Amino acid sequence: MELICLGLNHHTAPVGVRERFAVSEPKLGEAAGELVKLVGLNGGVVISTCNRTEYYALAESGEDGARQLREYMNRHAGEDIGDDHVYAKAGGDVARHLCRVVSGLDSMVLGETEVFGQAKRAYQSALESGHTAGDLNRLFQKAFAVGKRVRTVTGIQEGQTSVGSVAVDLAEKIFGHLRESRVMVIGAGEMSRTTAQSLLSRGAHSIFVTNRSFERAENLAKELDGEAVRFDDWQRVLAEVDVVVSSTGAPHAVVTKADVEGARRKRKFRPLFLIDIAVPRDIEPEVGEIEEVYLYDIDTIEQIATEGKGRRSEQIAVCEKIIEEELVKSGLL
Amino acid sequence: MDKWLLAGSTIMVVLGGGLGMLALQRGQRSHWTVVCMLAAFVLQLAFLGLRGEARGACPLGDHGEKLAFLAWSLVLFYLLVGPTYRLSLLGLFTAPVVVIFQLLALAPGMMTNDPEHVAEVNAWGEAHSAFSVLSFGALALAVVAGMMFLALNRLLKEHHLSTGLFKVLPPVRTLSVSVVRLTLLGVIILSVGMVSGLLMEGGGLNAHLVAALIVWLGYFALLVTHYTRGMTPRRFSLGVIVLFVFSLIVFSLV
Repeated sequence: MELICLGLNHHTAPVGVRERFAVSEPKLGEAAGELVKLVGLNGGVVISTCNRTEYYALAESGEDGARQLREYMNRHAGEDIGDDHVYAKAGGDVARHLCRVVSGLDSMVLGETEVFGQAKRAYQSALESGHTAGDLNRLFQKAFAVGKRVRTVTGIQEGQTSVGSVAVDLAEKIFGHLRESRVMVIGAGEMSRTTAQSLLSRGAHSIFVTNRSFERAENLAKELDGEAVRFDDWQRVLAEVDVVVSSTGAPHAVVTKADVEGARRKRKFRPLFLIDIAVPRDIEPEVGEIEEVYLYDIDTIEQIATEGKGRRSEQIAVCEKIIEEELVKSGLL
Repeated sequence: MDKWLLAGSTIMVVLGGGLGMLALQRGQRSHWTVVCMLAAFVLQLAFLGLRGEARGACPLGDHGEKLAFLAWSLVLFYLLVGPTYRLSLLGLFTAPVVVIFQLLALAPGMMTNDPEHVAEVNAWGEAHSAFSVLSFGALALAVVAGMMFLALNRLLKEHHLSTGLFKVLPPVRTLSVSVVRLTLLGVIILSVGMVSGLLMEGGGLNAHLVAALIVWLGYFALLVTHYTRGMTPRRFSLGVIVLFVFSLIVFSLV
């Protein structure tokens, strides 16, 4: 019996190809069952995320099993997708690859944590539907243990690597939990939306959206379950919020020092976190001179994200060393 | 024996602070800091108990005892406030202050070796001394939290976010709320101390009480401004620090 893995991910296939292999979470057990029906395969697990679909199987013969899986993939896609998009692993390389995946080393955002849970749920689905066996169980259990160790011992998930996550981290450093924090979004563009969503996902209390086009403000407010504010009225709302995300296409400053100074008394001088992700900048740099204001522009936030990415990259070698040690110890290499 | 207890507690505080500092360098928090501070607190209690028994009164008879009592109240409030606000890092900042107070207390000439047993206990006088020193424990801890706030505020304003200190400091809101609450607690206890002072035999409006009244008014004005008009956390923290330093200077003169 040999462990094999065939798959495609963001490194090898564009989204147009990847989406043809996507399997929704409730159907992962069923998909694992389809692998077991293939000749010479005795167990299977299917991992499917937005960045990858991978088929893990226990085959009587590695070569034959890989061929069976490859044909299955072509049948699934409805055509031969060619070899360029697909990678195949066998034996110890399967274990090495799975450990890298669950540790976040193979992710688009290095060190991201979501993939660990996705892989765990994929394995659980296959296990519950009775499609895993012997070495496949051992492989996944060991990979989860290694993934956990890698994340605990190394700094692979430390720091933030995107504008949204940096903004959320900073907001939490200022306000603690965000349950009592109100957010105002100035400008209804994509960057505003993703940053506001990041803040909401970490529990922000409520969202106000303002935009020159009130209709666009209403649409985004509806999407975020917030409240639309007319553009000539946002200064009033400034007194109520804790975080402001500004990303308009205005060629001049939208938020001036006078605007913030005007709201200070009403705010009782509470801390105010301003995130300016517009170019040219929406918020006058002088606003940052106000004592209780923490102003971050796109350059600063991107620099923090780049530093985060750099720190994570430095950890890759350490993570890989741990993976090798653990796999050798367990006899999977 | 009593001095050995105080020395032991000083060692525990140094240990707690040191472990906290090592953890800080690794960007972590040390749980052992709280354990060491707890051990230091028990040793301080034993020290104050022995001195109190020897005096037959509150152990505030000489400068050494006052400093030790102040250090004890600092650790007491640290243990009370720390877990509530999850400010275990406060120990790290509290430790050097406690160590300084206790080393001064242990310095030659600060503490009598054989404390005199008092002939008669003035209950209001004892209450005045104890509550006043206790209040300064809370106010000193407000200073510590205020300094932590100022450090974090500066790091955030200047975008220095990769330091170990930044990673382990509690959020701005937690710190600013702590500074206000500790100040409020200190002022309430100080008020009790002042009323006790007015009620004690032979009390009345002496220089000591006038100084206490000025300090109390300063804190009171700070709190009233905060709760009514509002105040930036930075200014409140600076106010707390300035008032504390001012009170130390004033009380050393009267």
